[in-house]
Parts: sequence; structure tokens; C-alpha cells
Amino acid sequence: MGTVTRDVVLEALKKVQDPELQRDIVSLGMVKNLEVTGGKVAFTVELTTPACPLRERIQEDCQKALVGLNGVTDLQISFGAQVRGSKTGAGQTDLLPSVKNVILVAAGKGGVGKSTVAANLAVALKMHGAATGLLDADIYGPSIPIIMGVKGEPKKIEVNGEFKLEPPTAHNLPVMSIGFFLEPDQAVIWRGPMLGKALHQLMADVHWGDLDYLVVDMPPGTGDVQITFSQQLKVSGALLVATPQDVALADVVRAKSMFDKVMIPIVGIVENMSYFICDGCGKKHEIFSRGGAERAAKRFKIPFLGEIPITSSIREWGDKGVPILVREPQSEISRTFLEIASRLAGQLSVVSEIARRAQSLKIISS
Amino acid sequence: MIMASPIPVEINHRKEKGVVRVTWEDGHVGEYGCGYLRGYCPCALCQGHGAKIKFVEVPDAKLAEISAVGNYAIQFTWQDGHNTGIYTFDYLKSLCPCPECNRSKDR
Repeated sequence: MGTVTRDVVLEALKKVQDPELQRDIVSLGMVKNLEVTGGKVAFTVELTTPACPLRERIQEDCQKALVGLNGVTDLQISFGAQVRGSKTGAGQTDLLPSVKNVILVAAGKGGVGKSTVAANLAVALKMHGAATGLLDADIYGPSIPIIMGVKGEPKKIEVNGEFKLEPPTAHNLPVMSIGFFLEPDQAVIWRGPMLGKALHQLMADVHWGDLDYLVVDMPPGTGDVQITFSQQLKVSGALLVATPQDVALADVVRAKSMFDKVMIPIVGIVENMSYFICDGCGKKHEIFSRGGAERAAKRFKIPFLGEIPITSSIREWGDKGVPILVREPQSEISRTFLEIASRLAGQLSVVSEIARRAQSLKIISS
Repeated sequence: MIMASPIPVEINHRKEKGVVRVTWEDGHVGEYGCGYLRGYCPCALCQGHGAKIKFVEVPDAKLAEISAVGNYAIQFTWQDGHNTGIYTFDYLKSLCPCPECNRSKDR
């Protein structure tokens, strides 16, 4: 019986591909702590996100690659995760160096359920084990304080000699919202420059600490706030929320053209309010028709990440300040959110790999 | 899940030939005529809101500048000032006019 060496094992593992990044796990640097003693082989696969949708497949492929090797008597594969940064875009400065991925949850218009989606996806990423924060940038109608059940002005703390705002924690997530600084019945009627200042504070003066993902609930539409974000933050990507009607296409066109302008890649579309399951008859009702967002995704080659149904419980618990994922983690809608969060995390890993590779692009004229 | 995007490693505007030569990470090379690239400009001004990408003839299209957009796309600025088309790497690859790509085209 032959003896196994590190090199032999690494060579065999080069046949294992990360299905999303489409490169082998050895050259992606995902194989860590490799130990070969006699016939015993042990190593850790460091995934690019704890929410990895493909973990089982990678494990199976590793086993297949090694089991046939001459001399391997014992195989131990463990999994870890190290979220990689994927920040890109036109922003010259990075106000949040301790945050690896900034995701903007956006839509071309209001009323599609951005805030509900943003809050539940942030909770889902956290449940998958990633350090996650939630920033409410919807200055016109901040609803995250209601959805997450937090209010009051954040505490000021001193960090390295500077005063910072400490984000309050709700359902284990650090949360910041412009709503914390307003009376409940007060409207924000600022002009552009004031908005810019307030947003800058929400970005620069908040002590987030080390985060894998910061989920940002954007105001509806395509305007000042979006531009400010793209210029002052390194944003990883935008997630579009759309409804199933055919006009969704027009909304997606708008949102896409704006994000193209500010050079933020769109990492996915989710369809909200896709269908309603009647608690009386159990039938699926497609109130706003169905599939508009998916068609829009196909048309623009944007990953379609899933459909979220309308239920009265998501609304009811949202109004009470408890995201449905916290209240009913086993429900179908919660599973949907967890799956969408996985796919989103997978897409962000892809974006980060592309960002790394695209840096070597040469543009010449001859 | 979605496939990882193709990545260009070199984009060369060959002025006297009027073509843009794109070299991809896997070694694939495609030469795009300027008129062809302009005609398939993906911006909403050129394409409207239709479901299918169409070819919009622009006579005598000349390229002024090429710049990278974020880490995922290329922006072409034409001599008439038109610059709203953002060609993602995926889209650019799908346009590749070489005979090999054309054979397997389902655009």
C-alpha cells in the first residue's frame, strides 16, 4: 500500500470545483489545515459564506476525489467559513472598512415590501451564522424600527478617541435607522444637502464593528440617496425587490439603469407578494399575477433568487416588531427567506471573486 | 445557480481596423466591429422596454473611449457622445461574433 502525501491529496482535491465560483477549491485557497498522518487525512474547507448553499455537494465531491486514493484509510472533512469582501463601485473612499459586504435592498418604486424583505434577509443571514447588520436608509419613511421592534436614540460611545453611535441590537442584529432620531409623527422634509449629511452620519459615525454583511434598506426610487451611497460607500451589490405584475419589468429597467450608472452590480431579484395561500380553502391565489419579476430577471440576465408569498402573518408580526423568521422559524415563508439568503450570499461570493479577477483587466488602444 | 461570469483580461481598440479585440481569461479572443457593438448597445434609449435585444443601426459609429465600470462591465463612449450603454461581461461575451461562438448562439 502506498503512502499518501500532502501533494497527492492537494492534487486530488484540485478536481473538486466550487460549483458557483467554477474554479477548483485548492487554487481558490479554500483548503485549510491539511494534515496527513499515515493514512489519515484531515482538512477544513473554508467556504466563502456560512450561508453556503452548496456545502453538501462540495463535501461529497471531496470524498469522491479522495476515497479512491491509494493509502487513504481515514478521512475527516470539516467546514469553516470566511466571508470574503466584494466591495466595488465608483466610491473613492470606504467609510466602512470593517464591513466586508454592503448589500443595498432596492426597488424602482415604493410599496413592494423592501423593508420587510431587507429585515428578514438580514435575520436569515444572521441565522446562517454570518455577522450581519441592518441599516435603514429609507429617510422618507423609515420602517425598520417598527419591523424590528426597536426605538429610542442610540447611545454615544467613545471608540479610539472618537464619538460614535452604538447601534441598538434587535433580535441579535445591530440596527441603525434615521427613524431613531425622529419623533414618531415627524416627517423628514429636508433638501438634498441635508439628506447627504444625515446619510453620511448614518454611514460614518456608527460603530458597526466587524460585519460580514450589512443589509441596507434603501428608499424607493432612483435618486439622491442612491447616488450618495454609491459615492461614499464601497457597495458589493444591489438586490432588487419587485412584484409579479408586468409593470415590474419597467421598475426593474429603471432600477437597473440607475445602478449601472453608479456602477453597482445587481446580484439578484426577488419577487415579493408572489401568491397568497388562502387559509380557508388552501388554494394558491396569484393576486398580482405571477412571474413578472422572473421574466425581468431573465431579460436582463440577473439571478432570480426566489418568490416570497403574501401572508397575513408576515404583516402581523412585522407590525409587532418581530420578523416572521424569529417568530415562526419553521414556517414555509421562513424557509423561503433562508433559501433566498443562501442564494444571495452565494451570489456575493461570486461577485467578490469576479471583483478580484477583474482587477487585472487591461484596456488599450493601438 | 448562475454561472460565474466570463472575465476579459484585455480590451484592445484597434483604431485603423475599426474593431475592438477582447481577450478572455480562458484565452478566447473575439473581434467586434464598432458598428456591431454600437448596434447592440444595451441601454434603455437604444433598446426601449422590449423583451428582446435588437440591433439598432447607427451609421458610421466611431468609438471614442473605453472604460471599465466597477468590476463587472465595460462602458463605450462613442464619438457622437452616446455613452449610456453598460456592457456587462456576460453580455459582451454573448455578443462575441467569432464563428465558434456564433455556431452555439441562442441569442
